[in-house]
Amino acid sequence: MTTTPRRRGSAAAAVLLSAALVLAACGSDGDAAGDKAGETHSVTADNGTIEVPVDPQRVVTIGNTTLPFIDMGGEPVGVTDVSASELGLIPEDQRTTFEAGTSLGASADQIDLEQLAGLEPDLILAQFPESEFEPLEKQLGSIAPTVFWGLGTEWKAFADGLAQAGNLTDGLGEQKAEFEDKITRIQETYGEIIDDTSFVNLDRWASSDPGTFSIADFGCVEIAQDDIGMDFPRAAEGEDPLGWTSLPFEQLAELSEYDVITYPVDAEGRPTEPFAPVVETNTWKALPAVGSGRALGVFCPGNNSYGPVLQYLDSLDAALATLPAKE
Amino acid sequence: MTALALRRDGPGTVKVPGPRRRLIGLVVALVALLVLLVLSVMIGSTAIAPSVVWDALFRPSADIDQFAIRDYRLPRTVAGLAVGAALGLSGALMQALTRNPLAEPGILGVNAGASFAVTVAVGLLGVRDIGDYMWFAFAGALVVTIMVLALGSTRQGQSPVAMVLAGICIGAVLGGAREALQLTNPEAFDAMRSWNAGSILGRPLEIVWPILPFFAVAIVLAFAVAGPLNAMALGDELAVAQGVRLARTRVLAVIALTLLAGGATAIAGPIAFVGLMVPHVARWIVGPHQRWIFAYSVLLGPILLLASDILGRVVMHPSEVPVGVVTAFVGAPVLIALARRKRASGL
Repeated sequence: MTTTPRRRGSAAAAVLLSAALVLAACGSDGDAAGDKAGETHSVTADNGTIEVPVDPQRVVTIGNTTLPFIDMGGEPVGVTDVSASELGLIPEDQRTTFEAGTSLGASADQIDLEQLAGLEPDLILAQFPESEFEPLEKQLGSIAPTVFWGLGTEWKAFADGLAQAGNLTDGLGEQKAEFEDKITRIQETYGEIIDDTSFVNLDRWASSDPGTFSIADFGCVEIAQDDIGMDFPRAAEGEDPLGWTSLPFEQLAELSEYDVITYPVDAEGRPTEPFAPVVETNTWKALPAVGSGRALGVFCPGNNSYGPVLQYLDSLDAALATLPAKE
Repeated sequence: MTALALRRDGPGTVKVPGPRRRLIGLVVALVALLVLLVLSVMIGSTAIAPSVVWDALFRPSADIDQFAIRDYRLPRTVAGLAVGAALGLSGALMQALTRNPLAEPGILGVNAGASFAVTVAVGLLGVRDIGDYMWFAFAGALVVTIMVLALGSTRQGQSPVAMVLAGICIGAVLGGAREALQLTNPEAFDAMRSWNAGSILGRPLEIVWPILPFFAVAIVLAFAVAGPLNAMALGDELAVAQGVRLARTRVLAVIALTLLAGGATAIAGPIAFVGLMVPHVARWIVGPHQRWIFAYSVLLGPILLLASDILGRVVMHPSEVPVGVVTAFVGAPVLIALARRKRASGL
């Protein structure tokens, strides 16, 4: 097939026009929400590249996206339930925002799709097990553009993606700057301790078997390890996380080899309810680190968004400040 | 007398040991139990020298390794002893009462009642400590047993078949209600996961002591009804002709087995196979004499439970396998082997 000059000119004009429209859609900051109505941009997540509204107005959050989205300043119109223990850890204003959203079910696999469609969302943000997403993907996608992350997504990448999809990048930027400042401050203030101290982080959950604890290498401790550089035990490459193994209390005695023990506390500094049985044991009290004031309670309200992580860093900072000099 | 007595029983002939051999067997079982008690204190997921174990028991100090012996291994050994004996005896009672070789306390709804009560305590009332919710388990088991007794009563008194049917029905209803509660309350489901597996890890002596008086009463009751249960094995008419009061015997037996199974489930959660298998082994050794079966069951139950628990402590080091999982793995093949011994453990 041949193309005439006239046709070539029309084609070039169409390409230029399309490019201009795409650039406008992707790059426009628009002053008013109304300017952005109907505009979309691309977001890449675990379910591929999705076209989402530039300024979504009716966002539904499913699974683990709910609290991070609210933490960044988002106001979902529909949510899946969050456990009472998690809700108890977030600030009052965020709790109010959560409660303002319509409850769509206990979890992703129990979501009421009819009710979800009735909310007429323009964006659905979801994080839950991938195996549960497959049967829901088509149905969610037919209601609104759906951006999905699996549970294996690294928390910073997740926060970036969530902010980009939900148009919350301004709030995220401030949180990221604060995070970097705190990391730098801790590294500068406690550089010597970080370099010379062997730490071990313990945890225990409501679901833990009675008489057991875990050496936890996931959660907030990953930030202490990876971002600050503290020396905590971690699973070998390719192995299951250490925290998945329940250890009987008699193995508490083997923690004598570590300089400092960190353990979970609530916002008031008391051992968390599941962990309390550990600190009541005679073995715990007989540990050298405990006897010398080197067992540090650290508050970790969550590790899936910057708000709770910043609270963790404040708590870690305060705990390290109490550490007595090494003998 | 060491000679074996012979009993004509249908087309086959079953050899039944004489009293002396039964006594020797009982002593052997007792020695085996003592050895396992020692091993249970010696072996754990951390290596502790025998001298430290000795010191922990007889020259206590604040040495950190001694706490492992006194605070963890000793209590779980006591728990294993009590729970094993209770499950073994309750199974023997249940099989004698129903004249059903596949009977175990669970089919009277004891486990279902206990599990449902624990789910209510954990899921609706927010009880989290095992020392608190174990009493719900005990109460649940008792309430269900009373219901089973009431539903299993006919004009002629308690019918074993009607009681079993009532137990299975109530168990099914409570099982469904429990699952519904757990599905709507994931935190309760999580909290109950370990209890449902059946374990004696993390049960301090404070949890075990309060249940022991119930076990003591139940053991007395069990041996008191052993004679009448022997007579009832020949049929209700013959038992009545021998002066046995059927209704009283059945009620006392059900009370005893409920105290035993309910108490054991309250401490350790539902543990399968011990109550089912141990009476078969006992019957295989001593023949159809309930008093001897009960005595053997009291010893063989903790032997099986403690051996399984010790195995569970080391087989997946540094973690542990709950004893309920180990008894299921050990119990199933042993039970199949026993079942293939034609009539050896028949009722």
